[in-house]
Amino acid sequence: MNIDDLKDAWNNDEPKGMRLPVSTAMLGKTTSAVERLRKNMKAEFIATLVSYVIILVFMFGRPQISFLFNIACFLFFTILTLNCFYFSRFYVFYKSISRYDFNMKDSIRKITYELELNMEVYKTYNFSVAPIAVLITITLTCSQHTADFIQHILAAHAFISLGNMLLVFLIILISFMITYVCFSWHVRLQFGKYLAELKQVMNDLSEEA
Amino acid sequence: MDTKETEFLRLIGENKGILYKICRIYQDDPEGRDDLLQEMILQLWLAFGTFRAESKFSTWMYRVALNTAIVFFKKQKRRPDNEQLPHNFERAEEPSAAGEKEEQLALFYKAVQQLGKVEKAVIYLYMENQPYDEIAANLGITPLNVRVRINRIKSKLKEIIKTMNYEY
Repeated sequence: MNIDDLKDAWNNDEPKGMRLPVSTAMLGKTTSAVERLRKNMKAEFIATLVSYVIILVFMFGRPQISFLFNIACFLFFTILTLNCFYFSRFYVFYKSISRYDFNMKDSIRKITYELELNMEVYKTYNFSVAPIAVLITITLTCSQHTADFIQHILAAHAFISLGNMLLVFLIILISFMITYVCFSWHVRLQFGKYLAELKQVMNDLSEEA
Repeated sequence: MDTKETEFLRLIGENKGILYKICRIYQDDPEGRDDLLQEMILQLWLAFGTFRAESKFSTWMYRVALNTAIVFFKKQKRRPDNEQLPHNFERAEEPSAAGEKEEQLALFYKAVQQLGKVEKAVIYLYMENQPYDEIAANLGITPLNVRVRINRIKSKLKEIIKTMNYEY
């Protein structure tokens, strides 16, 4: 079999009865990795808005300990600012990830770069937001006894001992490490194989024959 | 339906063979081909605003459709089944009634499934009778590189077809 001899059969291989699913396709119901990423970003944004409502209900919907309420307010505004920053960044990405009219090398390079960059931004976002979210949860849900304990620690007139300082440092370090590992694993599981495949395509295209 | 949409539908209809063959080259199962077909139509529609009538629509379409196929990933690995045709595809003739060339073409499609994504793009554009310069421009590589790659891919396909117990 000679491949060049197949060109006639190839040209005659016409899709006579082919139905184009134009109306469904143009609605955007597709399954690509990029589309999945967009859907995840959208879902994440909605989940964040819902979490704000829950936080506000907790803050104003039931009697609070004033000291912890004040801390929750500071933390809430911090997380709000962080979310605004990151989601505006994600929104720019959301709008820019569909440029397929360049040549293949440029298109793949752009998509790979954007995907990798935003995977890192996403990890950083979670890394910075998760501890604050945990602190807000603690401040809004802890008992009077725990609140008294926290207030006692923070308002103490003595300096914290070196041992306690190291203990706090270790707890924070380990918590951050666990958070980072969990989110890295989650992102790699979600998009790692797509990124690896795109990089493989990039390598194939860059390879000099 | 506005003019832009009508024009898009007309152009897509006239060039649907491009989409049909890319789907057959890039996806080995019917559902995958359906998904890819939808994705390509969506991306063509989204990018339609960037199409300038200075070049042929088919030239622009090759580029967008192939880039979409390269970036397209299936949700999960399905069982390869090359004998089935996708839901949106029908052919006038049954495979049993096909001539020798059509049988060889079916074998070719089967063998192509074992190529890499870039190799598939190269052989697809070659089969579409695109000049080396055009292939090079679409892929972003040099014409010399295209020439060498085509020879390599042909040899590779020859080997694959041999392993499929077909006398080359």
